[in-house]
Amino acid sequence: MWAGGAAALLCLAPSFGVFAGALLAPHAMGADPAFWPSVFGTLSLVVIGAGGATLIGAAAAWVVAFCRFPGRDVFSWLLAAPLAAPVYVLAYAYGGLTAAGGAIPINLSGAAGAALVYALAFYPYVYLAARAAFAGTSFAAFEAARVHGAGPWRATWAVTLPLAWPGIAAGSALASMEIAADYGAASYFGATTITTQAFRAWFSRGEPQTALQLAGLLLVGAFVLLALERRLRGQRHVSSVTGRGRAAPSLELRGVAAFLACAGCGTLTLLAIALPFGFLIRLALLAPAGPPGVLGDALRSSLVLASIGASVTLLAAILIALSARRAHGRWALLAASAGYAAPGAAMALGGLAMLAAAREAGIVRGLSFGLATGALVWIYAARFAAAGAQPLEAGFARISGAIGQAARVLGAGSWRRFTRISLPLAAPSAVAAALIVFAEILKELPATLILRPLNTDTLAIVAHTYASDDRLMQAALPALLVTAAGLAPVLFLSHHIDGARRP
Amino acid sequence: MRLQFAALAALAAACTPAPPPAATKVAGEQIVNVYTSRHYDADNALFDQFSEKTGIEVRVLSLEGPQLLERLKAEGELTQADLILTVDAGNLGRLKEAGAFQPVESPILREAVPERLREPAGEWWGVSRRARVMVYAKGRYTPGAAPSMDDLAKPALKGKVCARSSTNTYNLSLLSARIERDGAEKAKAWAKGVAANLARPPQGSDTDQLRAVAAGVCEVAIVNHYYLLRLRRSTDPADQKVAEALDIALPDQAGAGAHVNVSGAGVSAYAKHKEQAVALLEYLVSVEAQGQLAALNDEFPVRADAPTPPEFAPFMGMKEESVPLSALAARQSEAQQIYDSVGWR
Repeated sequence: MWAGGAAALLCLAPSFGVFAGALLAPHAMGADPAFWPSVFGTLSLVVIGAGGATLIGAAAAWVVAFCRFPGRDVFSWLLAAPLAAPVYVLAYAYGGLTAAGGAIPINLSGAAGAALVYALAFYPYVYLAARAAFAGTSFAAFEAARVHGAGPWRATWAVTLPLAWPGIAAGSALASMEIAADYGAASYFGATTITTQAFRAWFSRGEPQTALQLAGLLLVGAFVLLALERRLRGQRHVSSVTGRGRAAPSLELRGVAAFLACAGCGTLTLLAIALPFGFLIRLALLAPAGPPGVLGDALRSSLVLASIGASVTLLAAILIALSARRAHGRWALLAASAGYAAPGAAMALGGLAMLAAAREAGIVRGLSFGLATGALVWIYAARFAAAGAQPLEAGFARISGAIGQAARVLGAGSWRRFTRISLPLAAPSAVAAALIVFAEILKELPATLILRPLNTDTLAIVAHTYASDDRLMQAALPALLVTAAGLAPVLFLSHHIDGARRP
Repeated sequence: MRLQFAALAALAAACTPAPPPAATKVAGEQIVNVYTSRHYDADNALFDQFSEKTGIEVRVLSLEGPQLLERLKAEGELTQADLILTVDAGNLGRLKEAGAFQPVESPILREAVPERLREPAGEWWGVSRRARVMVYAKGRYTPGAAPSMDDLAKPALKGKVCARSSTNTYNLSLLSARIERDGAEKAKAWAKGVAANLARPPQGSDTDQLRAVAAGVCEVAIVNHYYLLRLRRSTDPADQKVAEALDIALPDQAGAGAHVNVSGAGVSAYAKHKEQAVALLEYLVSVEAQGQLAALNDEFPVRADAPTPPEFAPFMGMKEESVPLSALAARQSEAQQIYDSVGWR
């Protein structure tokens, strides 16, 4: 319990840095004429982008989880694949595809471009979370409803979806927070959001405190969103004594229905994978050979940072998720979650502010590779502990309280209950959490850019530096490599959901 | 699990930079740490050559301009930076204000870098030059009759101009120089006129503006000169086609002259390898390095005696704005406010 609180506080520390810096901002928040348009921009992108991601993700998850149709087995993992792709990579690709004279003769700019890219980049959060939820208690409930005479649609609407709602809502909340914090795609398409406005204040007006002020607003917004999400699903405590779900019911699709399912999944695959990555692969093939050794070094840096970062973050996530199981420990998850919605660059600024304070106080007397790495890992934990704690908490929540109570009655202490009951039962969720965090850190750009040690360029950094210099061709290969490196964990995750379902 | 942690520790150890080689020429460690917001392959090639010639290892941290500044501020006297390299006089000015540089006295630098391309006390030195120019579809105008930068704000070009977002440093410095040169009111009138003439909301990069002109979305666009030269040498046939369809118009040759900005570098106020940093800076402005920056990165040299590639012919003898570059930093915030107020997002 105390450990969870401590972990949450550590994850929250950079946010305190954000708020402390925000207090030094020279103007009141509403004084900037662009303030309200940017609030409106963020809200509409969250509604449209995350709404689209939720619809797409939940629908795809339902079709794949409950139906049998040609190609279903391939689509089941293929549809999770975009999770491996950083949203800025998708933005580069769609920007290139729809540039004047490009392959797609649509001018995709502003909020419309950003919303499309967000929906395509973030639907896998909902897709995976919903599939995991369907794979749990929902199959049994679905079958029970069918046995009692409900048709497949009625069984879905009346029974399955309400039961899977916590999973879908959690995925949707992750997507919303990602969208609110995103800078890369929004700035690429020229959309006006709170985050792009924060960067405008920092980069062109030289007011980093104003950027922190706006980041603080996002943190508060995330807090409210999460509290709402918890409240909405608070009444629904779903637990199953058997723990594991049953084998999936096969709704055999034929004829038009099979065609529609196939075409829907196919279109999604085309838009989210084939088009953007086909475009990047073509560019990578056309690109001149880069300087030797750069990509190999970058791959190594990426894997090292992601491994260390994911280990530390997962530890924090486990402590937070455990403490969140108790009524008075809920705040820990909520507190850690806010970090997920803060722009990475703002969190890094918070980290820099802490470094400056530690230096002035004489606590830090020298800079080194280890210190820079440690600071960066701290920010990773602050940013992504929530992404790990969400699935963990969902996993813990599915373990029936009855089992724990039985163990307690039999005299098992809390540590023993944790190691012998919670941990083994939640192991699949822990693996999922670790992989999500690993993939997130591989893709992470702004905090890595600002805090990394000398001579340490990750693949994401290399892709970004080329792309920011308008060399999309040279950026294509590192961008594809980031995606490929993130693909393995995502596919494992997707496969695991299938595997866990087998009786 | 224990095995996994052991593997991680080993990985972490493998990632730690190798110990520096023993001292040979200049006193102290044969290392120079460069914080840079220029991330060009050409720079890395020059760093490698410098290491080969001197035995001094170059370690690099690349960051965007404003992030570079915040990192240096936070690191204060503990910073590892020896040489700080960045694009745009605005960024250089902000670094100077923050006390990131120290003055450097070097006859070699003084001889190589003209006075208006360096900070008077020697805190920063121009390393390369870039011009903000206009491009138009080949054949649209007869040479000499192409619009000037001032013309972009006139009603005749309504719906015919493309430009990127105003948050971009190049556009901020462009307007900063106009504020410095003509006053805020005139500069605002110009920005307002251009904003009203835009063919589409500002979007994408300079290269995207080139593509838009080639595709007929607009007639004329504002870009840095090297983006077009780069497209001409692209290995993508589609890029070459875009480049072939375009011509360059040098801005305001009959008036104030073209806006020309610099990339520049200065020695960190807290450099632990100062001699090595000065040696690298001197190398960057050498005839050899300047020629390579021109050939590999399409940037204009700061010194007149550096060899230039034949593609530079259209720019030879270009009239340049006389605004001192060191004055731009103080105008950036005002420039952004003007852009925001006229709706050039």
